[in-house]
Amino acid sequence: MSVFLIIKSLLRRKVITALLLLQLAVTLGLVVNSLLLASAAKDLVDQPTGLALEQILTVRVKPTSTAMRVEPALSEVISRQLAAVRLIPGVEAAEYTNQIPLRQGGSNSNIFETDRQDESNVDSVPYYNTGSQIFQVLGTQLVAGRELTELDKGTQNIILTEKLAKQLFLEQNPVGKSTNQGTVVGVVSDFYSQRYASDPLFGAINFVPMARAEMGYQLIIRVAPGQSEAVRQQLTDVIRNAEPEMDIGTVMRMDENRDEVFRSEIGLATLLAVLSGLMLLVAMISAYSHAHFHALQMQKEVGIKRALGASKARVLLDVLSESWLTTAIGAGFGILVCYALNISLAKVISIPAVPVWLPLLTMVLLLLCVTLATWYPARIATRISPATATKTL
Amino acid sequence: MDALLHNLKLSWHSIKRAPLPYALTLLILSLGLGTFFSNATLYYWMNRDPIPEKSATLFMARLNSVPGDCTDCFEPPRVMSYMDMQKMSGSGITSAEAAMFSSDAYAKTVENQQATPSQVELRITQRDFFKLFNVPFLHGEAWPDNKARMEVVISKNTALKFFSRTDVVGQEMLIDDKLYKVIGVLNDWAMLPRLYDVNGRRSAEPAEDIYIPLETAYDLAIQSNTQNSYFDVDWDGNMATYPQMARNNFANQLQFWVQLDSPEKVQQYQQFLKNLVADEKAAGRHQRPEGNKLDNILNVQKALRATNDQLDAFALVASLFLLVCVVNAGHLSLNRYMANQYEFSLRRALGASRWQLQSQILADVLLSSALAFAAALFFAQLGLWTINSLLPGTRALASWDWQMLGVMALFVLLISYLVTLYPALKTSFSPLNQQLKQ
Repeated sequence: MSVFLIIKSLLRRKVITALLLLQLAVTLGLVVNSLLLASAAKDLVDQPTGLALEQILTVRVKPTSTAMRVEPALSEVISRQLAAVRLIPGVEAAEYTNQIPLRQGGSNSNIFETDRQDESNVDSVPYYNTGSQIFQVLGTQLVAGRELTELDKGTQNIILTEKLAKQLFLEQNPVGKSTNQGTVVGVVSDFYSQRYASDPLFGAINFVPMARAEMGYQLIIRVAPGQSEAVRQQLTDVIRNAEPEMDIGTVMRMDENRDEVFRSEIGLATLLAVLSGLMLLVAMISAYSHAHFHALQMQKEVGIKRALGASKARVLLDVLSESWLTTAIGAGFGILVCYALNISLAKVISIPAVPVWLPLLTMVLLLLCVTLATWYPARIATRISPATATKTL
Repeated sequence: MDALLHNLKLSWHSIKRAPLPYALTLLILSLGLGTFFSNATLYYWMNRDPIPEKSATLFMARLNSVPGDCTDCFEPPRVMSYMDMQKMSGSGITSAEAAMFSSDAYAKTVENQQATPSQVELRITQRDFFKLFNVPFLHGEAWPDNKARMEVVISKNTALKFFSRTDVVGQEMLIDDKLYKVIGVLNDWAMLPRLYDVNGRRSAEPAEDIYIPLETAYDLAIQSNTQNSYFDVDWDGNMATYPQMARNNFANQLQFWVQLDSPEKVQQYQQFLKNLVADEKAAGRHQRPEGNKLDNILNVQKALRATNDQLDAFALVASLFLLVCVVNAGHLSLNRYMANQYEFSLRRALGASRWQLQSQILADVLLSSALAFAAALFFAQLGLWTINSLLPGTRALASWDWQMLGVMALFVLLISYLVTLYPALKTSFSPLNQQLKQ
């Protein structure tokens, strides 16, 4: 059947065709933008964090009695807990810390090189008050200077992440420099610290005792590969046995913390993916029922064609090609819709621009769905025997 | 009435004759409506005015007073220091004012000291908090002034939880091992969205359990669990010096609210803040540029960038989805009516007036509205559940009141009518003999 004839038959049913095209156009626009958001969310989640996500467990704890939240009781409780945790088989290292990396926000402070406050000030840098096993837990590499040891406990010596050191001291050697937070003795490789800090990879580490635990503190544990579930199961009990008057939070693996950080992005992407699936389903239902209805209406026409010698395959192709043409035209308008929707969405959330190939790919997907849905009614149309169809002529 | 019943019966018969197309139309329509309703529900709760009788008079005040010589920092921090709070209070222009922050603690009763303490949410605030936000008291009253005192106001649910009754004024409680006397019990109260504290996008959280005086909290070193920003603070962490340190440094954690009863008062207060900054600058403090903010309670989510953008984006998409579904259902119902056209034409030929046919179609609309409404509510519940498990922080908002249900029912009726309108007109008004010939 020629394209011209199909268009002519479509024009005879203007309203139905217009409705069909509008629906196809919006569907394409939405599916394209959902795919974009989903890929953006995936990039966010998959970005390198500098941490062995599957091998780090964290748990927030807080003493329920106030006496235990200040020194010297606090340090004593923490060392008892850590000693017990380090004995669990599969644990390679464990440490306390005021906060863990891979969070949205948390405790941070400004930092600047002494004497160069105006030029070097960085507003919001996460700081970690922790102990000597922290580097082993995080798995950071030493880039310059030395790591902190037990001897640094309670001193003003600090370690910076590589990116922060570059920001503060440019190309100069950071080791030995003095900041408002203390003297830099070393630089370690970058790890993802806090999303809403001045930069996610900024961080400063010192070995100061917790001093107070009004907000609780975190225990962070490095486990051997594949051991995280085994350790996780025992962890809560081990901590409780070390000190019963303790509010123990949920044990989280680092990749769970990461998913929490990007939760709204992942959530929106999933929601839109669900909605896109529904939209494709709706498009399929519509294509199905349209073809079904049409097949009944066209019974006589098909019968005549068959009587005049058209093969079954030919009739099948006729019905399908009409679906294909409407889908292609609708998807053509859909490309306009998808750019318009992209621009409107960009006003509320951050969404990447539409790459050229994506609408085309989605169009192919849409065509596939429509073909699948049209197949069955089209087959029914071809089954009409010429004799039955032309009986009433 | 009989006519209506007859028409409904006819509709039912026509559905039974071709159940699949009808079910598909209904499915598509209710999917679209359900998605739209679940989003509209959250959107409505997030963006409604929780205190319409006085929202125009409530403002959050902020100063750009943090240290650091930065000439292009015009945006004040989200939270204020104790010093800022003192300067902004006592202007004589406001009719109520209170500083506040949120925290948490473990509480138990004096009688039941052996029990495991349970976690409670705290609001650390001043006397006028209850007046500012029209918080109703069931028993007792607020503190007489803003001085430190070991007295708390508790919510009705907290009273029931710890004492199993509500009239507990004069009773004592242990909160983080400190002894407090209950001086007031609130009636059921919640502000949704919780606009008095939206920092950290916590506007969908429930109201707190226990209210503690601000000065007491500073004395006892109770700190904010939302945001603590220290600027150039040099402190050794010794808790004994905390009260002194926190009151005299840029240890920012407060949100400061004022009630200004008229536009003139608003202007006066703005002028008051302006003069304040000028005086500070003259005294060599307040290094950053003037950046006073006086945000109305309805703008505070935007001002603190605590709006739920994901929900906004989803609102746009859900509306488009509804459009697609309506268009689709319209298309399907057109097909359905055209299949029934012969029957309609026959009735017209036998003398049924066009308006009789219209009333038949209205009965159709009524029936499908009822079915679509039920199905849409089901899908909306499903949608709310999905959204709440994917986008946290909206859990408190997923409920319907009668008013909302009424609006939704009307909306379904309107959409169903819209979907049927064109097909109905087409079948009732197209040339008769042509249709009968087919």
